[in-house]
Amino acid sequence: MLHIAFDSPWFLLLLVALPWLWWISFRSLGGLGPVRRALAIALRTAVYVLLVLALSEMQWVRSTDRLTVIYLLDQSLSISQSQTDAMIKYINESIRKQRDAAREDRAGVIVFGTEAAVELPPLDETQQMPRVETMIDREHTNLAGAMKMAVACFPHDTEKRIVILTDGNQNVGDALAQARALADANIGIDVVPIRSQSFGEVSVEKVSIPADVRRGQPFDVSVVLNNKTAEGRESKSVEGRLQIVRKAGGREQMLTDQDVTVEPGVHAFRAREEIESPDFYTYEARFVPKNPADDTLPQNNQATTFTHVRGSGQVLVLEDFENKGEFKFFVERLRAMNIEVALRSTRPEELFNDLAELQPYDSIVLANVPREQFSDEQVEMLARNTQNMGGGLIMMGGPNSFGAGGWTNTPVEEVMPVEFQIKNAKVIPVGALAMLMHASEMADGNYWQKVIAREALKTLGDQDYCGVIHWGLREEWLWGGRQGMLKVGPNRGQMLGRLDRMTPGDMPEFESSLILARNEFANLPDAASKHMIIISDGDPADANYGPSGGIAGLIKQGVKISTVAIGAHGAAGHARLRAMALKTGGKYYVVTNARTLPRIYQKEARRISRSLVFERATGFRPQIKYPHEMVQGIENPLPPITGYVLTTAKDNPLVEISLVSPEPPGQTNNTILASWTYGLGKAVAFTTDAGHRWASDWVSWSEYDRLFSQIVRWSMRPSGDTGKFTVSTDVRDGKVRVVVTALDKDDEFLNFLNFSSIVVGPDMKPIDLGIKQTAPGRYIGEFDAKKTGSYLLMVSPGAGKAPIRAGLSIPYSDEFRERETNDALLTSLAHVAPKDGAAGQVIDAPANLTGDERLAHMLETNEFRRDLAPATSSQGVWHLLVLTASCLFFFDIFVRRVTVSFAWVGPLAVGVRDRLLGRDNAKDVEATIERLRSSKAEVAGQLEQKLAALRFEPAAETPGDATTLEETIAKTNEAAARQAAKPASLTPEQEQDSYTARLLKAKQKARGDQKKDQPDRPESTG
Amino acid sequence: MRIERRSFLALALGMPALAVLGGCDDDRGKVGRLRGTWGRSGVTDGRFNKPRAMAIDGNDQIYIVDITARIQVFTTEGEFLRGWQTPVHANGRPTGLGIDRRGNLLVADTHYYRVLTYSPQGELLETLGGTFGHAPGEFGFVTDAVEDAEGNLYVSEYGEYDRIQKFSRDGKFLLEWGGHGTDTGQFSRPQCLALDAEQHLWVSDACNHRIQVFDGQGQLLTCWGTHGSAPGQLAYPYGLVLDGQGHVYVTEYGNHRVQKFTLDGQSLGCWGHDGRGPGELLYPWALTRDSQGHFYVLDTGNHRVQCFDL
Repeated sequence: MLHIAFDSPWFLLLLVALPWLWWISFRSLGGLGPVRRALAIALRTAVYVLLVLALSEMQWVRSTDRLTVIYLLDQSLSISQSQTDAMIKYINESIRKQRDAAREDRAGVIVFGTEAAVELPPLDETQQMPRVETMIDREHTNLAGAMKMAVACFPHDTEKRIVILTDGNQNVGDALAQARALADANIGIDVVPIRSQSFGEVSVEKVSIPADVRRGQPFDVSVVLNNKTAEGRESKSVEGRLQIVRKAGGREQMLTDQDVTVEPGVHAFRAREEIESPDFYTYEARFVPKNPADDTLPQNNQATTFTHVRGSGQVLVLEDFENKGEFKFFVERLRAMNIEVALRSTRPEELFNDLAELQPYDSIVLANVPREQFSDEQVEMLARNTQNMGGGLIMMGGPNSFGAGGWTNTPVEEVMPVEFQIKNAKVIPVGALAMLMHASEMADGNYWQKVIAREALKTLGDQDYCGVIHWGLREEWLWGGRQGMLKVGPNRGQMLGRLDRMTPGDMPEFESSLILARNEFANLPDAASKHMIIISDGDPADANYGPSGGIAGLIKQGVKISTVAIGAHGAAGHARLRAMALKTGGKYYVVTNARTLPRIYQKEARRISRSLVFERATGFRPQIKYPHEMVQGIENPLPPITGYVLTTAKDNPLVEISLVSPEPPGQTNNTILASWTYGLGKAVAFTTDAGHRWASDWVSWSEYDRLFSQIVRWSMRPSGDTGKFTVSTDVRDGKVRVVVTALDKDDEFLNFLNFSSIVVGPDMKPIDLGIKQTAPGRYIGEFDAKKTGSYLLMVSPGAGKAPIRAGLSIPYSDEFRERETNDALLTSLAHVAPKDGAAGQVIDAPANLTGDERLAHMLETNEFRRDLAPATSSQGVWHLLVLTASCLFFFDIFVRRVTVSFAWVGPLAVGVRDRLLGRDNAKDVEATIERLRSSKAEVAGQLEQKLAALRFEPAAETPGDATTLEETIAKTNEAAARQAAKPASLTPEQEQDSYTARLLKAKQKARGDQKKDQPDRPESTG
Repeated sequence: MRIERRSFLALALGMPALAVLGGCDDDRGKVGRLRGTWGRSGVTDGRFNKPRAMAIDGNDQIYIVDITARIQVFTTEGEFLRGWQTPVHANGRPTGLGIDRRGNLLVADTHYYRVLTYSPQGELLETLGGTFGHAPGEFGFVTDAVEDAEGNLYVSEYGEYDRIQKFSRDGKFLLEWGGHGTDTGQFSRPQCLALDAEQHLWVSDACNHRIQVFDGQGQLLTCWGTHGSAPGQLAYPYGLVLDGQGHVYVTEYGNHRVQKFTLDGQSLGCWGHDGRGPGELLYPWALTRDSQGHFYVLDTGNHRVQCFDL
């Protein structure tokens, strides 16, 4: 249905001026004749009306009764798989049976947890959802966020309804406020409560220890258990075992393992504990029910807490698990210098997984370890440990460190006092990397290819070349046109943008792409290292291994190809990818988990960073540039070294360069030892090694111990007596309250302290914790803790004082706390009525119904019912109105200015008729000529008359049309008399005078008359 | 300058004509007429997700398999009739379809190294192969299968051993020929097979950008085609159809078009170019021809079928 509306209807009042327009036009257009005048007025009226309609912003409004229903399916952790399956079945049946295809109803599905994602877009077809395929964060229930996304997904020209399938236990956002916004937008809300099938639930609410645990002082570990009974069921006690485990330094010790009976409600259990040695301790409490049926969710049956008892400083040295023992001597010498050192390899099971695990160490040494042996999260932890928690970070040199180790553009580079790319060098070593992306049939294949390419691009330096080959309309470079390998530096942003838009097609063969790469590598003679990475499922046709083929050309140029088989099509796909890698000396990887791909690409991209290593077998002696306390007591000359990794010192006044290399000469990338303070911690870059490869002469150097112990000690976090400050934490409703009690040495309250504090959450993002004094010696701060995992607090009482560290653990998601369906919220949501429609419905079934009976009962309510206001869509038409008015205005001018004669039509018609009928028209022609002659004579006569009429004859008067014959005769006589009275000089010859002469005479006469009228007026003297 | 009325009219009519003539240069060699388009992207019945192979049976029912391994059957007007899925498809999906003499569907189950035979209703009747390898009866990536008048089956494959194997009516290995390479008689991804009235085997040698013709004993009869985008040249010929009237029609995956040739490789014109509009193609994989002589091209990148006369 179509009708019109106006956005600014007040402008329509201008239409009252129409009669005035008509009146003016009628008067001014009198000379046009009646037809043309009427036409001109009509056109003028139309132009005016159209302009007024345009000013009043006229809209076409179309209303429709088509309906779009979007189902919002709760996928938070509190929803079990069987509940999800039941709800999917309900959605599919509802769409299949209730959608009105004839009216082109649309149906779509959004799944949500912490975030929302479109599972099925709203389409006008009977879509069926086999399973939930979208991956979302399920840690929380953000119903409001899902409702917002639904609003964005609705087509504008249909009626709208959302159907929420949830248990209603939201823990992020405010769904009710969002429901009101939906009602204002005329969106109906139906609710399908997801019912819990649980009979009972026991959860470990928390495990707690005192805030001020000290060595040798006994304390209680408290475990709080909560036994909840499902609504409508009889409460009962639950039997099970309670275990409390202490973890420290990679060891586990069972503190207690006892049978307990948990009565309904909240109960605390305690175990006695005493700490004897300084370390980082984690306490984990677990409850194991005797009968699993008594406990619905096993996820909430454990909780952890931790504490740190300080001793003397400790250092963590991380060495490459593939090159173990490289730093054995270094570690031994540190220990000999009374520094407590923990040596660990980078093997995944030995590496830290939590920022809390780094807290026992005051400094961390990355001893020639490459980037790819750490996850993104672990790299982030290393950086945050220094910046926010004050721990030291030392990077020791070697071919796997700094830029050569793939650490470029990582958070660790930010922490270091040097940049890992080199600048201002006379000869910058250049690498070139080509990546071949073949569309993979694996799920999210394109997504992972983009992630991989981005990671590889990050690893490359500014001076390196990078190109990506994919199948667009044919094999082609992703950027640069024919010259597909471009310098990364000036193009990095553009390259990342192109990668985001990349959609690799199905490549028929490898060979054409290999030839593309071969030709382009040949154009890069300055590239010291050339490498190619192919990611594919292995089904393009095989490469040509002959002498004219791409492989031979690449081998000739020293290009190595590493191949990554992902989702490879069985043995056939693997074999050819393996062959290409073997033939060119590259590596072959088989990937079953796409998440490991970026790490492979980092490692491969690092191959071209080898050029950052500077080596000279003859050796050269580093020189002391600045007498930093790390090199105190050490004098030049130092023993020679044979190599180091090139870096660029950061242009920052805090950076202090203590040792530099004389080789290569004239460079600014020759830092051997540099340091600075970054955030709360200290960072040191030592670009050569500790004696294994490049500094082998240093092993026998007498100052070895002094240098390295001073470097390590300088970097360590300051320690001090923090016994007078106690920090306690308490978690409630997703918020953590931090209470600091400050006493001086006499146990008097310390007031007006200016605490600076920071919290690092499980996502490694710092959270600002504003601590304010609320009572004498008592300071309180609060922060949100929605994510599960460890939260570490760093509270600094002021300059020069050792920081206080504390932490807490959120053991499991809030999703595992609430089990009962939140009927109050769900009913409220359904009762929020849309502005012009009926309120929604709660679609439920009696508790005694299960399976198909329950489904059938629920399907009795039609989600696609028509009880909402018809949807309208409007379209502004002012531009069309103005365009039409412009055209009509042209015709208006045309009608007024141009006389269109149709006299030619008659003769033309006659001519055509005669021609068609074949008449002899000779007579007619003669007659026509006669007619023309007479017409000519007539016209000539008329012209004569007109000329005569134009002559200036003041005496002559033309009788009016309305006078009678007698009046005319009388007037004629009068005129004759006046003629007779005229002077005699007016002779007939004078009538022959020229027109100009007559005008002159008339003028002179007029002047004479004037003089007669004013006889007394003196003559002008000119 | 004064322009006479006649001159003005001539100019006004002539300019558009010149404009049209100017565009002819781009349409050099273009032939054919679009009759219709059907199908759209999706995973529900009647929709496609990157359809890859197509075959038409004696009843003019069109069989199409897509990247979800669904085999769907349509009328020539695009009406969905029925569908089923191959038993397993985790490793990859079929890329070739054919019809045997009994009207059954031959499915080149590419990534499972075998040929499946289905009844028109979707019942799995036979399986040939299933073992990866290069021994007789073993396969690499199977691309297509055709049955000759005597009931012999020709199966093409690529991978490490781009070759064609011939099997007797009862599935017994008879002979093989080919091999990976660019020499005549060798292949680089033989993507499509077709038999002519003389039972000669036509092979679209996709990554060598050429067509090769063999007799029943694997003897090369003819070979033509060069790589390029000009009329008469080929870029990744994926589909092949013979009309029995001295013409061969080829879909070009790389040139996004269908090209008509004489049997000795003289180009008679092209239909389509890259794009998403009607009459435009994106990565076309397969081609077929119904009993009325209308052609159907599988417009893979646009998830649809286009019907045209050529």
